[in-house]
Amino acid sequence: MGTHLTVTTDTPESLRGKILMPKQSIGTRLFKILKGVTKTRGGRFGLAFILTMVLAALFAPLISPYDPNAQDIINRFAGPSSSHWLGTDYLGRDILSRIIYGARIAALVSFGSVILSAVVGVIMGVLAGYKEGTKFDYLIILIFDVVISFPQVILALAIVAVLGPSLFNLIVALAVTSFPFYGRIARAQTLSVKESDFVKASEALGLSAKRIIFKHIIPNIMTPVIVCLGMDMATMIIYEAGLSFLGLGVKPPTASWGIMLRNGYKYILTSPWMIFWPAVFIALTMVAFALFSDSLRMTLDPKERKK
Amino acid sequence: MWTIPTLIGVLVVLFSLTYFLPGDPASVMLGPRATPELVAELNERLQLDKPVFVRLAYYIFGVAKGDLGSSVWSGHTVVSLISKNIYHTILLAVTSLGFAALVGVFLGTYAAIHKRKGIGTAVTTGSLLSVAVPDFVAALLLMLLFCIQIPLLPSLGAGAEGDIKDIILHLILPSLALAIGWIGYISRLTKESMLEVLDRDYIRTARAFAAPIRTVFYKYALKNAVIPTITVIGLGFGKLLGGAVFMEIIFNRPGLGKLIVDAVFARDLPVVQGGILVATVMFVFANLLADISYAFVDPRIQYD
Repeated sequence: MGTHLTVTTDTPESLRGKILMPKQSIGTRLFKILKGVTKTRGGRFGLAFILTMVLAALFAPLISPYDPNAQDIINRFAGPSSSHWLGTDYLGRDILSRIIYGARIAALVSFGSVILSAVVGVIMGVLAGYKEGTKFDYLIILIFDVVISFPQVILALAIVAVLGPSLFNLIVALAVTSFPFYGRIARAQTLSVKESDFVKASEALGLSAKRIIFKHIIPNIMTPVIVCLGMDMATMIIYEAGLSFLGLGVKPPTASWGIMLRNGYKYILTSPWMIFWPAVFIALTMVAFALFSDSLRMTLDPKERKK
Repeated sequence: MWTIPTLIGVLVVLFSLTYFLPGDPASVMLGPRATPELVAELNERLQLDKPVFVRLAYYIFGVAKGDLGSSVWSGHTVVSLISKNIYHTILLAVTSLGFAALVGVFLGTYAAIHKRKGIGTAVTTGSLLSVAVPDFVAALLLMLLFCIQIPLLPSLGAGAEGDIKDIILHLILPSLALAIGWIGYISRLTKESMLEVLDRDYIRTARAFAAPIRTVFYKYALKNAVIPTITVIGLGFGKLLGGAVFMEIIFNRPGLGKLIVDAVFARDLPVVQGGILVATVMFVFANLLADISYAFVDPRIQYD
C-alpha cells in the first residue's frame, strides 16, 4: 500500500485522469490489433477466409444449393458435376451444402467451447490471483495443473464418453479440457495488474473486492485472453472434427465436417471425394487460422515487427 | 514434489468418471444385457455398493499397488491389456517424434544458414502449412494418396509380428502423418532460435578466428539453438498421444488409443480409466524428462 491519497471525495471514475489507468477500452485495443493484422498479406487472407466462413455459417440456408439432409438415393456416390459441384455422398446428399452447414457446427462448437472455457477460466484465475498465496489460490492452481496433466484429446474423449455424444456435451467437454489455459493467463495477469496504482487506490477507497475484480481488474486483463481465444478457436474446430470423426462428437445426420470424414472413411475405396472435400476444407480453414494468428503474433510482439 | 498432489488429483478425476455416469454405473456398463444378477455381481466386483469415499480410497490404493482393475467384458486385467498394446503406441510416438526432430532440426538449421537463397522463405511457408493441417486430416489424405490412388503402402494394421520389414512398412504412413506438423513446428523454432544464436558475439568471434564454417554452425551454434526444441518435444508429447489415438483408429493399429476408444464404445470403464491414467502418467513424465534434460543441454540452468 504505497499510495497515500488525501482526496477521498473522488470516485474511482474521476480518479482515472489522476492515476495511472488505461484509457483505451477493450474494443479500441482490439480494433487496433485487427488493423495491424491486415497489414500483412497472410493476415489479410486469413481474416478474409475466416470471415467468409463465418458468413457462410450465418447464411447457410440462403447460399447452400441443397438441403444438407435431403437424400437423393438415385444420385448417390455421384462425382462432381454441374448440379452437385462437389459430388454427393452415400445417401445422395450434396457435399457442398453439407460443408456449408458443417461450418455452422464448427463455428458453434468452437465459439461455444472457447467462450465457456474463457469465462470459467478467467473467473477462477482472477480470484486465485487476487487471493494470491492463500489456500484457495493453491487449490485453484492444483485444479489447473490436474486438468493440464491429461492429454487434451484423451480427456475430452473420456468426458464425452461419460456424458454421451451430443453437441452440448461436446462443447462442455472441450471447455473442461481448456479452461486452465485461460485460468493461468488470467492469474498471471491479475498478479501484475493488482499491484498497479489504480487498484491500490480503489482498495484504499474501500471498494468491495467484487467491484475491484469485475470493474477494475477483469477489463484490464482481457486483451491477452481475447487474443488467446481467437487462436484457440482453430484448435476447437480440429477437436470437434476429430471427436465427431471418432463418433464421439456431434450426432449424425447433423452435417459436421468430422461426421463427413467419418462417412467418407467408410467409402474411401469407392468414392474418395466424399472424404477429400471435407478434409481439404478443414485444412484450408486451419491454414487461414494459422496465417491469421501468425500475423496477430507479429502485430502484438514488437520484437517480431522488426524482422 | 508438486507432481504427487497432481497425480492424486488425476486419480480423483478418473475415479469421478464413474460417478458422473448418468444412471446406475453397473447397468449402464452392462447395457441391454443387464440382468439383476449380473448388475449385483458387477456392483460387488467393482465395489460400487460402497460409499463414494471408500471407493475412492480403494481405487487410489489399488492404483498405488499397480492394480487397475479388470475389463468388464473380457475379464482380463487392465494392466495386461495395456501392456499388450502400449508397445505399439510407444513405437509410433517415438518413431514420429524422432523423425520429426531430425528432419525439423536439419531443415531449420539449413534455412537459417541459407536465409538469403529463398530456402528460408520456403521452410517458413512449408512449416506454416504443415503445422496448420490437423494430423488426422493429413493421415486421411496420405492414406487416400498412398494406399488408394497409388497403392504403395499397406493401409491397415501394424504388420505381422516379428516381420521387421512389414512392421516398418506399416509404420511409415501413420508416423509420417503424425510427424508432419512437428517437422514444421520444430524446423520453424530451430530456424528462429538459430538466427538469434548466429547474431551472438561468440559466433562472431569464432568466425573471426576463421574456425571451419561447418564447425561453427553445426557444433557451436546448433548446440544453443536446439534448446527450445527440447522443451517443445516434452510439452508436445501429450498432443502426440492424442494424435496417436487417431492414427490407431484410422490405420486400424493396435495401441493405447485404440484400446481406450474401443473401451469407450463398449462402456468398459475400468479399461478407459486405466488407459487414460497410463497416457497421463506418460505425458507427465515426458514433461519432467524435458525439464531435466534442459540442464544437460544447457549447463547454465540450475535447479534449486
